[in-house]
Amino acid sequence: MSARVPEELDGDVRAYSVDTAAERTVTKTIGFIGFNRDSNSVEVDVREGRLIRIRPLHFDARYTREELGPWQLNVRGRILGASTKSLVSPLSLTYKKRIYSPNRIPYPLKRVDWDPDGERNPQNRGTSGYERVSWDEALDIIVSELTRIKERYGMSAVLSQSDGHGETKLVHASHGCTKRLLDLLGPSTWQHRNPDSWEGWYWGAKHVWGMDPVGQMLTQSNVIPDIAEHSGMVLFWGCDPETTPWGFDGQMASRVCYWLSDLGIRSVYICPDLNYGAAVHADNWIPIRPNTDAALQLAIAYVWIHEGTYDQQYLDSHAVGFEKFRAYVLGEEDGVAKTPDWAAPITGVKARVIKALAREWASTPTSIAHGNGGCYIRGPYATEPGRLEVVLLAMQGLGAPGRHQVKMLEWGLFGDQNDLSAVANPPLPRPVVFPSVMAANCGWGPSGAVEDWPFVPKDLIHDALNSEHIEWYGKTLARTPTEDQFVKYSYPMEGCSEIHMIWTDSPCWITCWNDSNAYIKGLLSPKVEFILAQQPWMENDCQFADLVLPVSTKFESKDIAADTMNGSVAALIYDDQAIEPRGEAHSDYEICCMIAERLGLLDKYTGGKSVDEWIKAGFDGSGVQDMTTFEEFKDKRYFVAPTADDWKDHPVGLAEFYADPEGSPLSTPSGKLEIYSERLATMFPNDEERPPLPKWIPYGESHHESLEHPRSKSYPLLLISNHGRWRVHAQHDDVTWLREIETCKITGPDGYGYQPVWINPADAKKRHIKHGDIVKIYNDRGAVLAGAYVTERIAPDSLSIDHGARYDPIVVGELDRGGAINTITPHNTTSKNTTGMAVGGFLVEVEPVDLEELRQAHQEAFARPYHAGAGLCVERVIDKGGRK
Amino acid sequence: MKTLIVDLTRCNGCYNCQLACKDEHVDNDWSPIAKPQPDTGQFWLKISEYARGVLPRVRVCYQPVMCQHCADAPCISVCPVEGGIYRREDGAVIIDAEKCTGCGACVDACPYGAVYFNEELHIAQKCTLCAHLLDRGWKEPRCVDACPTDALVFGEEEELQSLIERAEVLHPEYKTNPRVHYIGLPKPFVAGAVYDAKNDEVVKGAILTLEAKIPGTTYTGTTDGFGEFTLRDVSPGIYTLMVSAPGFDVKEISGIDVTREVDLGDIPLGE
Repeated sequence: MSARVPEELDGDVRAYSVDTAAERTVTKTIGFIGFNRDSNSVEVDVREGRLIRIRPLHFDARYTREELGPWQLNVRGRILGASTKSLVSPLSLTYKKRIYSPNRIPYPLKRVDWDPDGERNPQNRGTSGYERVSWDEALDIIVSELTRIKERYGMSAVLSQSDGHGETKLVHASHGCTKRLLDLLGPSTWQHRNPDSWEGWYWGAKHVWGMDPVGQMLTQSNVIPDIAEHSGMVLFWGCDPETTPWGFDGQMASRVCYWLSDLGIRSVYICPDLNYGAAVHADNWIPIRPNTDAALQLAIAYVWIHEGTYDQQYLDSHAVGFEKFRAYVLGEEDGVAKTPDWAAPITGVKARVIKALAREWASTPTSIAHGNGGCYIRGPYATEPGRLEVVLLAMQGLGAPGRHQVKMLEWGLFGDQNDLSAVANPPLPRPVVFPSVMAANCGWGPSGAVEDWPFVPKDLIHDALNSEHIEWYGKTLARTPTEDQFVKYSYPMEGCSEIHMIWTDSPCWITCWNDSNAYIKGLLSPKVEFILAQQPWMENDCQFADLVLPVSTKFESKDIAADTMNGSVAALIYDDQAIEPRGEAHSDYEICCMIAERLGLLDKYTGGKSVDEWIKAGFDGSGVQDMTTFEEFKDKRYFVAPTADDWKDHPVGLAEFYADPEGSPLSTPSGKLEIYSERLATMFPNDEERPPLPKWIPYGESHHESLEHPRSKSYPLLLISNHGRWRVHAQHDDVTWLREIETCKITGPDGYGYQPVWINPADAKKRHIKHGDIVKIYNDRGAVLAGAYVTERIAPDSLSIDHGARYDPIVVGELDRGGAINTITPHNTTSKNTTGMAVGGFLVEVEPVDLEELRQAHQEAFARPYHAGAGLCVERVIDKGGRK
Repeated sequence: MKTLIVDLTRCNGCYNCQLACKDEHVDNDWSPIAKPQPDTGQFWLKISEYARGVLPRVRVCYQPVMCQHCADAPCISVCPVEGGIYRREDGAVIIDAEKCTGCGACVDACPYGAVYFNEELHIAQKCTLCAHLLDRGWKEPRCVDACPTDALVFGEEEELQSLIERAEVLHPEYKTNPRVHYIGLPKPFVAGAVYDAKNDEVVKGAILTLEAKIPGTTYTGTTDGFGEFTLRDVSPGIYTLMVSAPGFDVKEISGIDVTREVDLGDIPLGE
């Protein structure tokens, strides 16, 4: 592959198009799940090599309604229909700004004071600037380092960080092309995603109702039509259907919410913040103190037990262990009856409101909605609210008409293409087949772990880097069966090396995971000899790499895609290239091909296939290859699999288990709902942090993050870090048009776009904080700056800040200006024997800062180049004349 | 004559409309209908958002406002250039991007604040209803196309009569005869929660009667399963609220001054 002559990258795109018609239009998906299924299909108009516009794809532009067969639900005269227009999110509409961002990496960059043949200066990572190097030089370094490390330590010394959400590409996969190449050299250490998104379900709820792989109620068939017909109330518990689905499914969930309201089904939001769904849909908002939901749940159970308003008969036939739970709730075990009066001071929810919630729930078929639970199931001891939710659903006859757990996003995520089982199905009418493009996948696959190969769970990477030996339970991958939670693993694995090199294609650990100030400390360790990052944008972890490679965006390469998570139609998309790559960028796949070539492994790596051949393979294995031809598919740019005629025939959710628990058992040891888990009692007999039955655990060995703990005297507020409103995790933080929105950034007097932190007026007043003030959020792990958003939309004693802001250190590993809250989230995993992360419901304090004083004390940090519209820009790290 | 309907009861606050407009008009030159707007600072369609109420009875209202394409547009009357600002047959009011001399009179004249001044190009700019796209056969402007919930509807006035009948205009007192129609413009509401003070229980099904001092204006409602209530679309005035529930003396709260939303907090019965 030859290097292209780089264009001068200009972050301020000022090339005007004077023609109204596009020269060409391509169809693309712009969802951000990162692999396999996608969403947010659009049409992209291009003129003279530049993007003119991105607009929703109208699926009926090239197919008749008869061919599409869009479904329609009519309940009590209110209609919800499949949308033949792609309901794209604002994150997809504004994607042009990401392509042309002033933060795009223009060419390979090497840290100025890192010399692989001399001094490596690991202690300067995060501070040193970067200088341009040629692709040849960069590739030489990579090959030489890989060879050296393999010889000296073995391949297990290489940590592969290659997972997660990002642009959804298949051939030019955003994540995992690097791992596939490493696999050809020998067993490298893989960072296992832990599985973030489902902590409380995976480590907790699974032990009650099975539900492999992740512990959510994945049997979602026809659940939404059933809720519409039979439910009187839906609890949106830590659920924001107007935000989280955006990057993964688009905005169909919004239409669903309006439809449920039109039907008179009550929407009750239980969460510390009036989130964006609650803002427009809530009939009632119950503002609950972060991570105290388990107390609320126990009090609800108490009311039902006390008033006899739960389904004992169902529990007799469908569950085991209820009697032990009942005894605990009534206070027979610990002398504390879990009454509403007990729960009220813990949760901040009035006792009479708890009673009202319990009674409303018992009096009408009620379902619980998630996407996937946010900080409700991602805090310390999240296993407890995760399990208690299943217990409460069980007490009201889980699986009966109108009584479900419903997912508002990731529709059909876990199904395979021809899988007609309930697990594959979204909660809305299904198509005849879900097109799948995994046959074109050249990157990370969800099943990627090879038995016996070394790995470290993502939320223990800092411990691995900072210590000699660590142990934990579970492979922690999303698809691993529950039994694996009882298996102990260690790092370094027997016969394997410590980590001496990190290769990341997913450089966002710092702003997404647990206690990343500790992770940063690990990156600065002299044990880590080489950090290689590849990414389109100079973001987050890239600032700590020794060598950074520019990656092209999906608009700059051609690929194949399946838009099957939007809920309305299921489409195969010819995901064509829109523009030439910017600067010297190459796709992750192309980069790995260049390295493979130098290692003599090109044919092995590509399987002898060209990109076009990979795309064709994706089509041939898609499941719709016999419903159209490849030529017609390319010509029309997409193909839609029609709605299945028999979609109604699938049993609703857990209806079969409800009707016949013996005949349709759950995947638990007993086949029933295990309110008391004998298996947990056997495997972890003395685990007070995840006992055999779910309990209220305010604090313990692993976490001191409760207002009941003395540590709260110094840090008296509980903080939640939500999935970003205007980001998908670490993405989109540089989009100028989003940053103009008041809930996206608060512009300080210094012109810097600070991350908003929501604070209640009473808490603000006490601290002399006014709306728009720049503040410091801190605990004993460090501090971040933010802009105060004083609002009624957040409960007292609480703060809310979206995670994923770009890390901008004032003091590396201590003080961040960008608002990357994950630098100070709890260090420890969910609990002692569970390897999830806890990033919500933790203690902090907040106070106003004197920006001028800070600027005086850290002049260099405050003087870095800053793009008024986009924020951090690549210019700020490029060292034009030696060390910064 | 085309018209635009904005249904706030269906606006979820996604900002797609504001952003699609940027996508169309930043870095794209559609002369003479429109020249590019700067990357930031102009909002030809601008969303304003308001958090209304007091915890826990809080709702957010989103209000997209664009050029209202007024039938009696003040921008047209103040423009000193012959044909500088004109109204098309389809109702779109256009600032001719090539004739504009940048005097800025229209910016000041628009009471809706819908006209912006482009310092770099020295011209005034605003929403064009994407006339350049309509002229190329598009059915609707970018904002309407991008809306995921049908909160924005665009079409012929005659065909949208049933929606127009339910709608009103923004600031009729400006007397510019705006041609954009709004359904669900925010009106004052009175909210609160009723509870049984002795037993610490919410009171479900309590009957609320809100009456203005001047007789004739009455609003009624009942408390829900959480004892909460919201009486909507209350005309400004001074009101008395009566709360009645079986087993309790009627509770009266007078002097409720409604100019915008009011939350009465927790209202005890049977003290």
